[in-house]
Amino acid sequence: MADFDAIVIGAGCAGNVAAYTLASAGKAVLVVERGNYAGAKNMTGGRIYTHSLAKVFPDYQDAPLQRKITHERISLMSPDSNFTVDYSARELEEAGNESYSVLRGPFDQWLAEKAENAGAEYIYGIAVEDLIIENGKVSGIIAFGDEITADVVILADGVNSLLTSKAGLSKKAPAINQVAVGAKETIELPAEVIESRFLCNPGEGSSWLFAGDCSNGIVGGAFIYANQDSVSVGIVATMSEVLKQDIPVYQMLENFKQRPEIAPLIRDGKTVEYSGHVVPEGGLHMMPEIVGDGVLVAGDAAMLCMNLGYTVRGMDLAVASGQIAGEAAIKALDAGDTSKAGLAQYKTMLDNSFVMRDMKLYESAPEFLETSPMMFRGVPEMLRDIMTPLFKNNGEPRQHVMQIAMPVVKKMGLFKLAKFAMKAVKSL
Amino acid sequence: MKIVVAVKVVADDQDIFVSGDRSLDYSKARQIISTYDTNAIEAAAQLAADNDGTVVAISASTTKADDTKVKKDILSRGIDELFMVADDSLETADSYATAQVLKGIVDANASDYDLILCGDGSADLYAGQVDVQLAAALDVPVINEVTGLKVEGDKVVVERTLEDEVEEIEVPLPAVISVSPNVATPRIPGMREILAAGKKPSSVEGLAGALETKVEVEDIKAPEMTPRKNEIFAEGDIDAFAAAVAEALK
Ligand SMILES: Cc1cc2nc3c(=O)[nH]c(=O)nc-3n(C[C@H](O)[C@H](O)[C@H](O)COP(=O)(O)OP(=O)(O)OC[C@H]3O[C@@H](n4cnc5c(N)ncnc54)[C@H](O)[C@@H]3O)c2cc1C
Repeated sequence: MADFDAIVIGAGCAGNVAAYTLASAGKAVLVVERGNYAGAKNMTGGRIYTHSLAKVFPDYQDAPLQRKITHERISLMSPDSNFTVDYSARELEEAGNESYSVLRGPFDQWLAEKAENAGAEYIYGIAVEDLIIENGKVSGIIAFGDEITADVVILADGVNSLLTSKAGLSKKAPAINQVAVGAKETIELPAEVIESRFLCNPGEGSSWLFAGDCSNGIVGGAFIYANQDSVSVGIVATMSEVLKQDIPVYQMLENFKQRPEIAPLIRDGKTVEYSGHVVPEGGLHMMPEIVGDGVLVAGDAAMLCMNLGYTVRGMDLAVASGQIAGEAAIKALDAGDTSKAGLAQYKTMLDNSFVMRDMKLYESAPEFLETSPMMFRGVPEMLRDIMTPLFKNNGEPRQHVMQIAMPVVKKMGLFKLAKFAMKAVKSL
Repeated sequence: MKIVVAVKVVADDQDIFVSGDRSLDYSKARQIISTYDTNAIEAAAQLAADNDGTVVAISASTTKADDTKVKKDILSRGIDELFMVADDSLETADSYATAQVLKGIVDANASDYDLILCGDGSADLYAGQVDVQLAAALDVPVINEVTGLKVEGDKVVVERTLEDEVEEIEVPLPAVISVSPNVATPRIPGMREILAAGKKPSSVEGLAGALETKVEVEDIKAPEMTPRKNEIFAEGDIDAFAAAVAEALK
């Protein structure tokens, strides 16, 4: 008999939720996490859409979420200008639609505590090195010479999952244009200062996304999320683009922080955390096999993450895929068949959920971002060349808006712009 | 053979921050085993393994130490059982008070001990006094800064590494011994050890009586930061630079 019904690798959003689901059904679950506590090694930008969390935890409001997002800001940055849209709508604040800023340390620990209280066992501080594979079936894990067996193993070890390849499930390593890197700082500020700088009520916050020359004009973006007593400031850029530039990623972040539009937002703040992480970018094309003999893959390990250039979304997908993996494993365990066939319903269940529907919908988004650098260099400048004359009064004769805009638009190429717009509408 | 090892649980110093008024901010710090106590634990575990013995850990801590992760960490390092007194009045405990509480734990749970091991000093106070005070309270011999030990019949033979020689001393049992960090390299507990730790016996109690301390704490403050001098030497002026360094080291 195996030591456990299920072993989950990784105590992130996907792993903790899978473990909680299994333990709540009375299954013997072990979670192994390489960090010294859940969330120790995890990073995110900062916003979670709570719809999938609410399905697992009706009491999700008790989770250490930071601020409810009530302001959506999107900016297009050129080297010397910034065009911002600030949108708020009551509908986006309603239960089911709402989202919160989040810090992984406290949030992942809350999730782990939920699973632990439901009966899951945790081992921290150990990185799983290998899988036990018997007659082609994954039947346990190996670390530091210790072996522990289980009827089903769930890989939730994040974007750099070594174990999916050990299980023979991953496709070949991603191409350099299929991964992005992110760097982030958490900067502490008093709550009232955050509320006045980001124009929010107490308990409410903002999401602010930037595209353009914030990260030196390369395919990527930047973000600022307002947390309770801190702000998360970061950048995301494609690896292939980063390698072309001669400035390192942390310098890109530093340059962003020093922009005159950004510096006043974080002035007098104290940097309390710095982190870097890989973001899977290739979408659907990069997904590994998610079901194998005795094994399931969930969350970032399954590449269930969408980078739309102006936003990265993965946590709600990780939570949902963790829950579905847990449910599929329970059914297979109850039926006494954790072979590939017995676990196959995971794929069906995931296909029928929002996870795969959204992944398919945005299938061509990464491609759009790579083939349309205009969004990052071109469109922000075009906006500047239209907006600046609109606000400029220096005694020189003024021109009518159309007179200003048409030459600028023509310079970009009306046809090129229309094509860009069509492609954008189709893929986002 | 029954070995007792005293373990202090402290705030992880990596996550203690100095606030603007030089006070210490512990709010982000997790509880961990005081670093040098991991060496003592390992020495105790090895000694027990070599001598068919058992080893129990004792700890006098604040209630923050009553944390599953910390307790599991202690028990995954070759310890058979843990007895903890967790009480927030111990926040300000001095070495004397700590030793009295530890004596209480020993009397109640491990009075048949042969040997008590302590670490070199705690990661927070580093007074290095608890071993001697505990021995005094128990009225047994004590020896400190031990770098090696083995059991021979009803005594232990310990090594103390001095500047140019290694001293060997026989200590009759029962005794209290505090060990230097190089006495044993702490293990990295494996998955099986961690799983087993969750099933080992451990008990946590509050403090029965009032705490008697001999030392009064006036205030705890981080040292004042001296502003950098920002002395800049012209490129190539290596002699002036060397002279300045030599002067600063005087
Ligand atoms: C810069 C950046 C910004 C982002 N912004 C957002 C955002 O605003 N909103 C959003 O929804 N998503 C965002 N994402 C994506 C989101 O963070 C991920 O999709 C999400 O964290 C995936 O969760 P997970 O549980 O699958 O993986 P992770 O959170 O990465 O967890 C994996 C866990 O496995 C552990 N692990 C790995 N290998 C081993 C091993 N061998 N043994 C044991 N343990 C192991 C790790 O320590 C980790 O705890 C962002 C990502 C980045 C990088």
